[in-house]
Amino acid sequence: MGEGSKIRVLIAKPGLDGHERGAHVVVYGLRDEGFEVIYTGIRQSPAQIVSAAVQEDVDVVGLSILSGAHISLTKKVMQGLKAKGADDILVTVGGIIPEEDKKTLKKMGVEGVFTSGAKIKDIAAFIRAKLRESS
Amino acid sequence: MRNSKKEIKEALKKWEDEILNPRVQKFKLDKSPTSFYTPLSSDSSHFLEKVGFPGEFPYTAGNSPFEFWRAYAEFGAKLNYRSDWGGTGRSGKYGGFGTPADYRDYLLKMQSMGRKGGPNIAFDLVTQCGYDSDSTFAEGEVGRVGVAVDSLQDFAVIYEAFTGELDIDKVPSNFTINAPAAVLIAMYVCLAKKRGIPLDKLTGTPQNDILKEFIARGTYIYPPAQSMRLFRDTCVFCCKHMPEFNINSIGGYHIREAGATRVQDLAFSMANGIAYIKAGLAGGLGVDEFAPAFTFNAFGGSMEIYKEIAFQRAARRMWAHILRDRFHAKNPKSMQIRQPITAHIGCSSTTLQRPLNNLARAVVGGMAAGMSGAIPGAFPPFDEPLGLGHSQEATQLQQDASRIMVFEAKVTDVCDPWAGSYFMESLTDKIEEDALAELEKIEKMGGAVAAIENGYMPRAVAKSAYERQKKIEKQEELVVGVNCFVGEHEIDVSINRLVEATYNPELMKTAEERQKANLARLKRERNGKAVLTSLRDLKVQAEDKDKNLMPAICECVENDATLQEISDVLREVLGEAQPMKL
Repeated sequence: MGEGSKIRVLIAKPGLDGHERGAHVVVYGLRDEGFEVIYTGIRQSPAQIVSAAVQEDVDVVGLSILSGAHISLTKKVMQGLKAKGADDILVTVGGIIPEEDKKTLKKMGVEGVFTSGAKIKDIAAFIRAKLRESS
Repeated sequence: MRNSKKEIKEALKKWEDEILNPRVQKFKLDKSPTSFYTPLSSDSSHFLEKVGFPGEFPYTAGNSPFEFWRAYAEFGAKLNYRSDWGGTGRSGKYGGFGTPADYRDYLLKMQSMGRKGGPNIAFDLVTQCGYDSDSTFAEGEVGRVGVAVDSLQDFAVIYEAFTGELDIDKVPSNFTINAPAAVLIAMYVCLAKKRGIPLDKLTGTPQNDILKEFIARGTYIYPPAQSMRLFRDTCVFCCKHMPEFNINSIGGYHIREAGATRVQDLAFSMANGIAYIKAGLAGGLGVDEFAPAFTFNAFGGSMEIYKEIAFQRAARRMWAHILRDRFHAKNPKSMQIRQPITAHIGCSSTTLQRPLNNLARAVVGGMAAGMSGAIPGAFPPFDEPLGLGHSQEATQLQQDASRIMVFEAKVTDVCDPWAGSYFMESLTDKIEEDALAELEKIEKMGGAVAAIENGYMPRAVAKSAYERQKKIEKQEELVVGVNCFVGEHEIDVSINRLVEATYNPELMKTAEERQKANLARLKRERNGKAVLTSLRDLKVQAEDKDKNLMPAICECVENDATLQEISDVLREVLGEAQPMKL
């Protein structure tokens, strides 16, 4: 990420889950926070998400999953990013994530997990802080 | 003593000057935080046209003076009858998980514990999107949010739990299925044939509401217009062969949950309903032949109790007018919104923060339901947002809350208790007026299908979701425990879950592998030639827009073609819908 350039975010919906409210809100919200946000739309395979993230050269991938399939789908995205040498991309997960599973996701390398009630400005602040840390 | 409008107007002015405004000034407010309504707020001189009696056009006051459940409510209470467990003649609790055998065994166990009623099936996302369990799209999703069904054999395995007094000529079935609804209906038809049950004995409801999948929820397969062809075919087929079986279950619920405003929910639902009516007419049916078999799943809900009551009243009146005035329906059943519930708070009103508060929230929704023509159901159970399934404790509290509203608070002893209220009538008028204006906008675009194709409806919902989020973040909308009353001095009250998971987690884990094995066995053992022949015939039929595809789909299903094989043939001919970007 160059000085002064916009933070680039890919919001992605892996798997077959079609509940988009959270993803839509985060897309609009982060755009208003001044980020460059690309939205994949629903029903993307982990491989499609990984290649979109690499192609679009994003700083952050935000996965939105409400189907309960978050563990297996996130694992595949994390592995895919690593295989492409893109594991420097910050990965966050949003959706209906039971407390127990948050730990599992963090162990996989997911930096932030955002569930119902999360505020856009907190998500934005989290991303800025994390990217500052790693730059 | 009669008051003239002039007198009331003068008195209102005086009240504002002498009572209201001084009080507002005393507290240094810009405006009063409360409203007060008078006879000037609504025109009560058209009571018969605008409200009418319960069970009479325009059904504002309700579809009937009392529904079936109310007739024997006290009787059932004294017998300790649990309505949520269903009974012969009713559909049971919505659910589904794992492989067909897993779900069958679960249902048999529930039946042995006294839970009766027909199947009310949740299908996994793989099935809902028209894939088989061995598809690459299926990985991690098989049997997760519902049961996996790849073929007629799978379907028949679930129904092994429904024989004898629970056979399919005695209990109704509910299928929450949309894009592949034609295939699932065909499975039901083929199962009936196998069992020697005539189709006119079948009862039940498929969701079969594809349009809202494009606006919210997202389990579409084919493009909107092509999807409507399949709707037309199921509509005509059900109407002609399965007269006791409902055609669809139209839902504004998902649209509101996805972020739509109240007015968008109402207008979009009506636009979708109109499109389905037009599809039935295009199939050569008369409106009163099929419209009585339309049902509504539910509209959306919110915490705003007054507005949700008004919404239900406005919705009934709107649909009745649309059917009578635009489509010249004569049968009262065609004009009624038949839905299992009325108002509720919606799952999106529940909070992950201090989740037991959701019980209090659900009671508010139950009051709105009880005052707008339905059982005061305290929906959803308080643990809804935890994503762990509904615990038995939460379900018990939900049931008891509903009973307390009925029997102790006597909420449902009056039909449309708000009828004639200056406030409620004006609110009902306002919601109807706004929804009609929005509906007109959609009609001008060419109707629901056009307003999906051009992205209008789905985008409008996404924008409304964001507007609501902004309001919460700016504290323009207050949500207890989320953006107000948070802090160390608040207690997070929790209760134990007696049964940790609704469904066996071990079975959930292995469902995918086991279902893939089932499917591999089916593909080995079936008559491959018959499968290919019937799929080829389906393709030929699909290429002719005027052909009803139900007979060809039934033929495929009967020959053990899989859900995905059938869907793939249709994908090839009808095309595939593309996800919306923002």
